[in-house]
Amino acid sequence: MTVTLPERTADAGTTSVRKRRTFRPVGFLLALPPVLLILVFVGFPIVLALGFSLGFTGGLNHTVAIIGQNVHESTSGFGTLAAYQEVFSNQRFLTDLGVTVLVTVLATVLVISLALGIGLFLKLRGGRIARLLSGLAIVPLFIPVVISSWAILTFYSGDGFMRSFFAHLGVEFPVWSFTMVAVIIGSVWTSLPFATLMITSGLQAVPDAMIEAARDAGAGFVRIVLSVIVPMAFIPIIIATTFTAIGVVGSFTVPYFLGPNSPNMLGVDMSNYFSSFNQPQQSVVMAFAVFVIASGLAALYVWANFRSAKEQGKA
Amino acid sequence: MTATVTPRRRKSGPGPAVMLLVGLFVLLMTIFIIGPLVWLGLHAFSESWSYPNLLPSSWTMRWWQVVLSDKSLGVAVQNSLFFAPMTVLLSSIICLPAAYAFARHEFWGRRTFLIGLFATNAFPKMGLFVTIASLFYALNLMNTITGVLIIHILGTVVFMTWIPAAAFAAVPRSLEEAARDAGASKLRVLTSVTLPMAFPGILVAMVMSFLASFDEAQGTYLVGAPVFMTMPTQMYSLVLNYPNQVAAVFSILLAIPSVALMTAAHKHIAGGHLAEGFQIK
Amino acid sequence: MTLFSTRDETEVSTTTEPALGGAPAGDGGNRAASGEGLTVRGLHKVLGGRTIIDNLDLQVNEGELVSLLGPSGCGKTTTLRMIAGFLDPDGGSIQVNGREVSHLGAEKRPSAMVFQNYALWPHMTVFKNVAFPLKLRKRPKKEIEERVDAVLELVNLLHHKQSRPARISGGEQQRVALARALVQEPQLLLLDEPLSNLDAKLRVKVREDIRGIQQRLGITTVIVTHDQEEAMSISDRIAVMNAGKIEQFSTPADLYARPRTEFVATFVGSLNRFEGSYRDGRISDGSDVVGVRPEDVKFSREPVPGSLPAVVERVVPRGHFQELFLRREDALLRSFASGESPAVGEAGHALITRAMTFRGDQRVDADQPVNGGQA
Repeated sequence: MTVTLPERTADAGTTSVRKRRTFRPVGFLLALPPVLLILVFVGFPIVLALGFSLGFTGGLNHTVAIIGQNVHESTSGFGTLAAYQEVFSNQRFLTDLGVTVLVTVLATVLVISLALGIGLFLKLRGGRIARLLSGLAIVPLFIPVVISSWAILTFYSGDGFMRSFFAHLGVEFPVWSFTMVAVIIGSVWTSLPFATLMITSGLQAVPDAMIEAARDAGAGFVRIVLSVIVPMAFIPIIIATTFTAIGVVGSFTVPYFLGPNSPNMLGVDMSNYFSSFNQPQQSVVMAFAVFVIASGLAALYVWANFRSAKEQGKA
Repeated sequence: MTATVTPRRRKSGPGPAVMLLVGLFVLLMTIFIIGPLVWLGLHAFSESWSYPNLLPSSWTMRWWQVVLSDKSLGVAVQNSLFFAPMTVLLSSIICLPAAYAFARHEFWGRRTFLIGLFATNAFPKMGLFVTIASLFYALNLMNTITGVLIIHILGTVVFMTWIPAAAFAAVPRSLEEAARDAGASKLRVLTSVTLPMAFPGILVAMVMSFLASFDEAQGTYLVGAPVFMTMPTQMYSLVLNYPNQVAAVFSILLAIPSVALMTAAHKHIAGGHLAEGFQIK
Repeated sequence: MTLFSTRDETEVSTTTEPALGGAPAGDGGNRAASGEGLTVRGLHKVLGGRTIIDNLDLQVNEGELVSLLGPSGCGKTTTLRMIAGFLDPDGGSIQVNGREVSHLGAEKRPSAMVFQNYALWPHMTVFKNVAFPLKLRKRPKKEIEERVDAVLELVNLLHHKQSRPARISGGEQQRVALARALVQEPQLLLLDEPLSNLDAKLRVKVREDIRGIQQRLGITTVIVTHDQEEAMSISDRIAVMNAGKIEQFSTPADLYARPRTEFVATFVGSLNRFEGSYRDGRISDGSDVVGVRPEDVKFSREPVPGSLPAVVERVVPRGHFQELFLRREDALLRSFASGESPAVGEAGHALITRAMTFRGDQRVDADQPVNGGQA
């Protein structure tokens, strides 16, 4: 990151000429408060936790190390990977890690497919049905996650709507509550609005003329979607994908309410290890495992943004 | 097809089979999205309901009385209605100037800052709260209003910087310059031109922050319980300790502010301010 | 646009000039209408309860370049979009080289369009943009390469083959859009306001490029424009449109000299317009509309037959000629004069050599120059 970053303002071509390469304390100072807040209450605890997970139990980690059970302490100055070794050789953790990844992938694929379908429908055909669909997809944004989890739980439970409805048809519908199916349903349900908003607005931003030019060149529906619309809305799609995946991979409420006791997602495990099992160090190790996955996704997002800047000749 | 409707793609017009598929999809989506909410809503008024009936066999308002007369639930409502607006207020004070700076100033570390703020989203919330606990013990923030507020504000920083930053950046500089030219001071330009024009984006950020705070359960529970219970944290215990119907009633109550606020801001959210806000520029 | 290199300019103009030189204006109108080219009959479009296109007929002969000229909202772009297949007409037929196409989608029509904002796909290089139509037609890789190179050479952009659209100038983007249309070897080339996004100087150059290439390839072409000068300078024939109808369809010279309606007279070329009537070289009270072209007003120091005394009120230099504002007792006349400019306030005589009279928008005078004078 250097000081020669491109102009950020949207209105390129205005008359104002601004100097670059100068240190501008005003902007820096204005931007500082949220950054400091994050540094102190997120960055610092993360560093602290990293130290704790590596067996550094002094300083601010002292209290938690005393309260917690099964804490691996570092005897050398370099820290110890004992906690990591323990967690990563724990079969339950490994299963849950697999489950977490699987749920994340499945939910993300479903969410993005639905959002893309709705967005394309809205873009290419429009009309009342398309608007109805996109409106529907945004509804979950209005509902707190605790409630939606609870609602989904009762809907797919043993005496829920799905079972009742199919019972009238003489079909035995499976109980999905407290299964990973319900977790995926809940994840899709809660993630759909953001992805839909992001993707529909991205698709809407593709100028109609670009699509018409492709039709004029002889492209059919599939080619238009694959060669013009998706590449041109690449950034919003990537943002939607990464945000959805990051949201699901670290989620707690949805798997806590909807999932089985075991196997379940790591968000629930973290909470269990911290409060129920009183093993904070193991909990923190799991947090870092999830963090690594989420960081990879975040990196994809940052890369996509820079790529788009480059493509548009900005960078 | 009437004369007033623009047939956009008559050539590739849908056949009956396609229309049927679309109809089926709409139906499934409606059941998927709305079904659980309606189902839960019905529970709030049900006296008795036996499987596999699709409606309760008798109705009652009893559960509403249970909820409304329960002291601790009332306190939870009060707490939520205190924390959420306070969070929005404080978060605005902390983040909006920064959002303006990200949009209008070029400074060292701008992009690093933006990405750094975003990165907080990548660390799983549950993990963060676990790690934050030690710090809060050390700073004596456990079970304090400040502690809960900090947890809530942390969840709003991304909304409150990114979305307004995009909104500020979208205000054409020429309009600000025209106001300066007309003799307005810098402050006047900000209050008369920039802020009103960026307002929809700021509003969206505020609504999202309000909801983020209003929905926050895990962190609040960890830091505030049992001294400060909010509506979502109560919801966790309700689900375990009360009949299903009470949770349903409480859910409806909990959803009212969200639905009201989101409806108010819906136009702007669907208008792309939310989506605009998440692209690094 | 400022990035346009001088090397580009010389190259392009040398390649196009011979073609331009050999182009007699208005020859397309002489060819027989034999079902070749574009035939539009009874085209009708209603949008929001308003008739946008009203029973429009248009015959564009093979190899001819026709402009649809009119003010914004006259329906010219709507017409073009219906011809291209982006908008469904409510009635009428569209035939390209004798084949009915109005039931086909845009992707199936033998026409290719150049869009107003070029509509170049930003994520593809210049080469990929131009190659896209051929890829869709599943041409062999080698053939694609050759044809794209050939067409890029034609528009002089071979050196920008691997550039992204955002990296090249507006004029170059315009030429890529043209290349992308031409590479399809369309039977009909459609251009929607192709020059409106270019600055004035470039506009002249690019329109000559377009004309040159069009003539060289002999491709049937329809251009939509609101710029009468642009239409006059490149078209074989111009269809002047107003309120969803073609007011007059003729060669540029004929349109200018013999406008059939007041609208055409005002829209094409410059006009002194008076409400009144015209007799014996003077304008008097009346209920008609009299139009006089500025070049049909002559200023002289000495009186000539039919002239009236006049005072020069204003002189506006227009480069190679001047625009004079001449106050006569009957009217204030604008006149284009070349040569030595009279001074403001100078007294002399002004003669109207030719005037047009319109009643209810239609031309009513005999189409004869007055006093044998000629512009």
